[in-house]
Amino acid sequence: MGWREYFLSALIVNIFQMSLAFIIFVFQNILPLNPQGFPGLNLDLAFMQVISFATNTNLQHYNGEGVCNNPPDCYPLSSMPGLSYLSQMTAVQFLQFTSAATGLCVAVAMVRGFVSHSQNMGNFYTDFVRSLTRLFLPLCFVAALIFVGLGVPQTIGGYQTVTTVEGATQTILVGPVASLVSIMQIGTNGGGYYGANSAYPFQNPNPASDIFQILLMLLIPTSLCFVFGQLLGKRREARPIIIGAYSLFALDLLLAFIPTYGLGRGIEVRFGGFFSTFWTVVTTAVTTGSVNANLAGMNPLVILSAFMGMLIQSAPGGKGVGLMYMVMYVVITVFIVGLMSGRTPEYLGMKINARDVKFVMITFLVHPVIILVPTVLAYATGAASAVRVSTGSTGFTRIFYEFTSAAANNGSDFLGAAGNTPFFNISTALVMFIGRFAPIGLLLALAGSMINRKRSTEIGLRTDSITFTIVLVGSILLLVVLTFFPFLALGPILEFFQKRVNGF
Amino acid sequence: MSIKNEVKRTYGPALRLAIVSMLLCGLVFPLLVTGFAQVLLHDQANGSIAHLNGSNGRSVGSYLIAQNFSSPFFFHSRNATLSASGVDPDITLQDALSQIRRISAVTNITRSDLSSLVSQNIERTSLFFGDGYVNVLRLNLALIHNFQTTYCSTPPLSYCE
Amino acid sequence: MTSKPNRPTSPRFRSSLTSTKTLLDSLVRLNPLSLLSNPVMFIVELTFFIVAAMAIYPPAFYPVANSSMRIYYVEVSLILLITAWFSTLADALAETQAKNTASSLRSLESEVQSKKIVTEADVRRIVTTPSTALRKGDLILLEKNDVVPIDAEVLEGIGMVDESLLTGESTPVRKAPGDEVIGGSRVISDTLTARVTVNPEDTYISEMIRLVESSKRPRTPNEVAVTTVLIGLTAIFTIIVVALLGLSVTLDLAVDLSVLIALYVCLLPTTIGALLPSIGLSGVSRLYQRKIVAKSGRAVERAGDTDVIILDKTGTITVGNRQAVEFIPVSSHTEKEVGEAAFLSSWHDDTPEGRSLIRLAYEDGFVPRELNALGVSEVYEFSASTRTSGVKISQGTGFMLPKGDKSGRERGRLRRKFEAHQEAGSIIGEDEIEIIKGAPDAIKKIARSIPSNFDALVDEISSQGDTPLAVTRNREVIGVIRLKDVLKPGIREKILSVKVMGIRPVMLTGDQPLTAKSIASEVGIDEYRPEAKPEDKYDIVTREQAETRVVAMIGDGTNDAPALAVADVGLAMNSGTQAAKEAANMVDLESNPAKIIEVVMLGKQLLMTRGAVTTFSIANDVAKYFAIVPVMFATTHPELKALNILGLGLNTAVLSALIFNAAIIPLLIPLAMKGIRFKPTSTMGLFIKNALIYGVGGIIVPFIGIKLIDIALLSIGG
Repeated sequence: MGWREYFLSALIVNIFQMSLAFIIFVFQNILPLNPQGFPGLNLDLAFMQVISFATNTNLQHYNGEGVCNNPPDCYPLSSMPGLSYLSQMTAVQFLQFTSAATGLCVAVAMVRGFVSHSQNMGNFYTDFVRSLTRLFLPLCFVAALIFVGLGVPQTIGGYQTVTTVEGATQTILVGPVASLVSIMQIGTNGGGYYGANSAYPFQNPNPASDIFQILLMLLIPTSLCFVFGQLLGKRREARPIIIGAYSLFALDLLLAFIPTYGLGRGIEVRFGGFFSTFWTVVTTAVTTGSVNANLAGMNPLVILSAFMGMLIQSAPGGKGVGLMYMVMYVVITVFIVGLMSGRTPEYLGMKINARDVKFVMITFLVHPVIILVPTVLAYATGAASAVRVSTGSTGFTRIFYEFTSAAANNGSDFLGAAGNTPFFNISTALVMFIGRFAPIGLLLALAGSMINRKRSTEIGLRTDSITFTIVLVGSILLLVVLTFFPFLALGPILEFFQKRVNGF
Repeated sequence: MSIKNEVKRTYGPALRLAIVSMLLCGLVFPLLVTGFAQVLLHDQANGSIAHLNGSNGRSVGSYLIAQNFSSPFFFHSRNATLSASGVDPDITLQDALSQIRRISAVTNITRSDLSSLVSQNIERTSLFFGDGYVNVLRLNLALIHNFQTTYCSTPPLSYCE
Repeated sequence: MTSKPNRPTSPRFRSSLTSTKTLLDSLVRLNPLSLLSNPVMFIVELTFFIVAAMAIYPPAFYPVANSSMRIYYVEVSLILLITAWFSTLADALAETQAKNTASSLRSLESEVQSKKIVTEADVRRIVTTPSTALRKGDLILLEKNDVVPIDAEVLEGIGMVDESLLTGESTPVRKAPGDEVIGGSRVISDTLTARVTVNPEDTYISEMIRLVESSKRPRTPNEVAVTTVLIGLTAIFTIIVVALLGLSVTLDLAVDLSVLIALYVCLLPTTIGALLPSIGLSGVSRLYQRKIVAKSGRAVERAGDTDVIILDKTGTITVGNRQAVEFIPVSSHTEKEVGEAAFLSSWHDDTPEGRSLIRLAYEDGFVPRELNALGVSEVYEFSASTRTSGVKISQGTGFMLPKGDKSGRERGRLRRKFEAHQEAGSIIGEDEIEIIKGAPDAIKKIARSIPSNFDALVDEISSQGDTPLAVTRNREVIGVIRLKDVLKPGIREKILSVKVMGIRPVMLTGDQPLTAKSIASEVGIDEYRPEAKPEDKYDIVTREQAETRVVAMIGDGTNDAPALAVADVGLAMNSGTQAAKEAANMVDLESNPAKIIEVVMLGKQLLMTRGAVTTFSIANDVAKYFAIVPVMFATTHPELKALNILGLGLNTAVLSALIFNAAIIPLLIPLAMKGIRFKPTSTMGLFIKNALIYGVGGIIVPFIGIKLIDIALLSIGG
C-alpha cells in the first residue's frame, strides 16, 4: 500500500471499530453481561469515550465501577455512569487492543518508508492482524494471568456483597479487570477499569503489580526504538532515538523529584510518594495516562514534568506514535541545524526538502491549535466554571492539562467523571481525534515521500552521534516545551511559586 | 485512483476486520483469561475475599479493599478521602503503631503483643525495602484470630461469627 | 589554512553601506505589498500598525490597552518599524552589492574587433565591428592571426586554427566548411569566411549576469524549505499569542496587547526572516567577486553538497606544461648528445614543453654546432597518431640563432614551413641527421634497436611521476629526457582541505598509470584515472551519481559538455568552448580550473551561514521568554517574578527584549553578507563548532544583550 491507502485503511477500520463500540456503550442496558443494571451511556459521553479509547487516549469521563468511592472527586454525583461487563470487555478492552495495534502498525509503516529500497508501506490488514495475534494477544494473556496471581480480579460473576467485620454492608466491585489491565499498560492505553485507575487496589494490589505495570508501560515504546534500527538495517540509528527519549525521560524524572515526597494526600500507602511520582512521570512520558495516585495531590513540579512528557510525546512516547514523533523531531532537527555542517541536511542519506519540512511543520502546528483553542474556549464559554474549575493557577492547570492530555492521547486528567459535560465530551473528543489521526496521516505522508528517494551513501551529519543526540534533545525542549512556556507559567509553575509562599 | 474509490473499496474488508477484531479482543480474549483465572487462581480472580476464622468463616470483605473500622478495638483504616482510591486497604507502620496504645487500653492486650502482631504483618513498598505498611483488614483478622478470648466473648466484642 | 571565501570587504561593499540610493531603496521596500514575499517581516510591519493605532487611539483596544501607556506604545511601535526597516536595509545592501559585482563582471567580458562582411548591392565590404555588436547570422572574415570573435560556423576556406588556449591541445586544428570555430581561438593559416552562430548577449555570462540583476531571483529549494520552517514557526507563535490574548481576557490577567505583541515579535524568527534573502544573494555575490558567474543560486548550494570533485591534472593540479629537467643518455651516448639532439628537435616546437627543452639544453651548454652549420630539411609535426615529433637536418643550408634569444621567442619568424611527414621510416640521406623524440612506446616502434636498460629507465622515470621522452638519432635511441610536472602553488593544501571536509578528489589525466599515480600521491589524491580521454569524464560523473554522490567538475572543451551538463556542479572555463559554457552551471571568467575548490567552499559557506543564522535566531527565543513572560503577568501574578532570572526592570524588560531583537539584525548583516568564517574540517567538526557558536551562543548571547540593554534603559529612564 502507498501511504494514503495505508492511512485510509487504518482510519476506516478504526471508524468501524468505534462505531461498534459506540453501539455497545449506548445500548449496554439492554445487552447481556450487565449484572449491575447500568443504564446506557449518553450519546455525547459514548461519542467521546469511543474516540478516547480508539485514539489510545483513554481519557475517562466516567467511573467504570459506577460507584463513587471518593466523594470530592465525583462531582456531579447525579451522573455517575458505570460500565457493564460487556462494555468493559467488548468496547473498552477491544478498542484498547485495536488502538495499540493501529499505533504499532502505522509506526512500522512509517519506518518502512525510511527503509532503503522499500517499495511500499506494507499492508495494513496484514500488519494489524499480525500485531494482534502475534504480539498483543499472547503477551496480554500471560500478563493478565500474572496480574490475577498478584490479586487482580478476573470474573464476570457480578459484584459481591459482604458484611464487614463490624457488620456493615460492603459491595466488592469485581469484574474482568486483569485482562483490561494487561492491555491498558502494554498498549500504553491507560484507561482503567475503575475511576481511580491503578490507584484502586483491585487494579493495582501491591508494589509488585505496580512495578510490573510500570515495566509493561515501558516495554513496547522502548522496544520500538530498537525495532527502528533493526528495520532500517542500521542499528546505530536507533541510538539518538533511544538515548534522546531516555534523556528526556531522565529530565522529566529530575524535575519531578526536585521536591521530596511524604505520604501526601491522594497517595496510596502501598506505593508511597516515590512510586506514585515515578509512575506519574512514566505514564506521561509514554503517554499511557494510567494513574496510581491522585494528580490533585501532586506537587506542581510533578505536574510540570507530566506536561513535559505529554507535550514531547516521545520520551519515549506511546507505542508507535512516540517513535513517529521522535523520527519527526530528528527530521526537523537535522534540517534546522544540519545546514551548519555546510551540506544540505540529510537523514539516512535522504535530502530533506521543503515538502518534508511542510509536513513536519503542520504536525508541529497541530498541538498548539488543539490544546490552546479549546482551553481558551473552556473559559470563554463558561464550561470551566460549570465544573467548578477556578480561573486561578490550580484551575487553569486542570483545564490546560485536560486538553494537553487529550491532544497527546495520554488520558490522565484531573476532571475524571466531573468532565462528563457536553462541552468537555465533545471538545476533548475532537481534540483526541485530530491529535491522533492528523499527525499519523502527516507523518505517513512524510514517510511515503521517502520511498524511492535517492539516498546518499556519503556520511554528512552523523545522526547516530552523541553530539547530534544532545542537539536533538535541546531542540525538542526548545521547539516543543518552550513553546508552551507562557501557559505552563500560568499553570503549574505559578502554582508552584504560590504554594512555595502559601504552603503546599 | 480517486480517494473516493479508494475509500469505497476499503469498506468491505474494513468492516469484516472490525467485527472479527471485536470478537477476538473483546470477547474471546477476556473470557479465555477469565476461564484460566477461575480455574487456576480462583481466590484472586474473585477479589481476594477475606474470611473470618480461616477459609471456613463468613466472608467479611476483600483484603484489597478498605472497609470501615470505627470501634476502638480495631486498627482503623485511613480516612477515605486521603487516598487516591478511597479504598486504600493499608496504613503506614507508624499509623498502626500509634493505634496500639488505644487498642491496648480497651482490650487489655499488652502493647508488646500488639506491636509484635503488627510487625508480623509488615509489608513493604518497593518489595523488600522501602517504607513499611500493614493491611488493616489482615491485621484486624489476625487480631481476632490471635486474641479470640477477647474478640469472641460477649457483645460488643463478638466478631467471631 | 583559513579558507579563501573570506576576502577583505571590497571597497564597493563599504561604499554601498553609506549610499543614499541604498537607503532610499530600503525605505521603499517597507511598502507592505513588497514585504508580502517575506511573511515574517510582513507580520512585524503589521504589528507596527497595530501598536501605532494603540498609540493614536487607545480606547479602541480596551481592555487590553491603557491610555496612560501611550508613550510606551509609541516606543514599541517605533522599535517594530525599525525592526522591519533593518530587514529591508539588509535586502537593499545585498542587492546593491550583487549588482555592483555583476556589473564589474561585464567589463571583464573580452571585447575584440571583428571583420564583419556586409553585402550591399552585391558588393562585399568589410566593416570592423566590436564582437559585442555581432548578431547571429552575421558573416565574418577570419584572416591569419585573427582572434575568432565569437562562435561561428565556417562557410568557405580551409585553414588551421589554434585552439590551444581553449582546449590545451597544442596541435592546430584544421577547419573546413561546416566546422565550428570557437570564440577566443586564433587563426594561424589561411583565410576563412564564417557565419556567427550565437548572439553576444546569449552568451552564458551575459545571461547569468542578467539573472542576478533582476529582482525576481527564484528561491533555491533550500531557501524554500527554510522559509517553510519560518512560516510554520510564525503560525505556531501566532496561535500562542492569540491564545494568550484570549486567556488574558477570560482569566483577567490584565496583559497589555503591546506586551503580547512584543512577545510575539521577539519569538518570531525575525533574525533569519530578515536576513534570509540577503544571505542567498550575498553567496552569489561572493562568487562574483572571485570572477565566477553562476547560472543560479541553486548551483552554489549544490556545490556545498559535493561528494566528489573531478580534477583535470593539467591546469588544475599542475601548471599545465611539463618542464624538461634532465637529459639521460643510454648505451654509450653522452648527456651532451641527448641535450643537443633535444635542442635540435625542439627548435620548431613552439609548445611550452618544447621551449623548456631548449631552455634546459641552453642552460647546460648543449647548443649543437649543427645549429649554425646545418639546415633543416624537414619538420615532423607532432601528431596524435604517431605521438612523436622531430626534425631532419641536411648540411649546407644553415640558419642563425638570433643573439640573446634564449627562449626562442623570435624563432617563429625564422622558421620555414614544411609539409609534415608524419610517417616513420622516411629515408635518411647520408648527409642528413634525423632526430625524433616522443613517447617511449611510440619510439620503440620506429627505433632500429632498443637498449637493454631502456624499459627500466622509462619505468623508473614514470614511477617517479615524471614523463619520459625518448630521443632517437637516425633511428637509434640515444637517451631519455625527463619531463617533470610542475605543481600549482598551494594545490596540495587545497586538496588536503577538500579531503578533510570529506570530499573525494578524483584526478583525471591522459598520462600513463605510473606517472598518474606518482602525481596523485604527491598531492595526496587517492583516486585517479590515468590514460583518460575527455569523454571518460561523462562516464565517471554518471557512475558516481549512480552511487548517489554529488559530483563537481571543471571543463572547457566541447568534449566536456556532456559531463558538465550532467554534473551537479559544472564549472566551465571562460576560455572554453561555447558548448562547455552552456552545459555548465558556472563559468570562471579567469579560467582557473583550481577554483572549483573555492566554489565548493563558497557553497558550504552559504549553507552554513543560512543554518547558523536560523539556529541562532531560534535559540534566541529562550532568553526572550525569560525576559518577557515573568513581567507579562506581573500585575496579577507577582509570584512569577521569581522567573525573572535576569533581574530586569519591570517596565523595561519588554523594551529591552524588543530592542535586542531589532539590533541583532544589523549586527548580523556583515555576517550574512560575508558568510561565516570556517576552517576546512570534517562535516561533523564544522557542525559541532557551529552548533556551539550559533546554537549555544544563540542561547547565551541574548541573555547578556538583553541585560545590558536593560541596564542602559534603566540608567536613562530610571
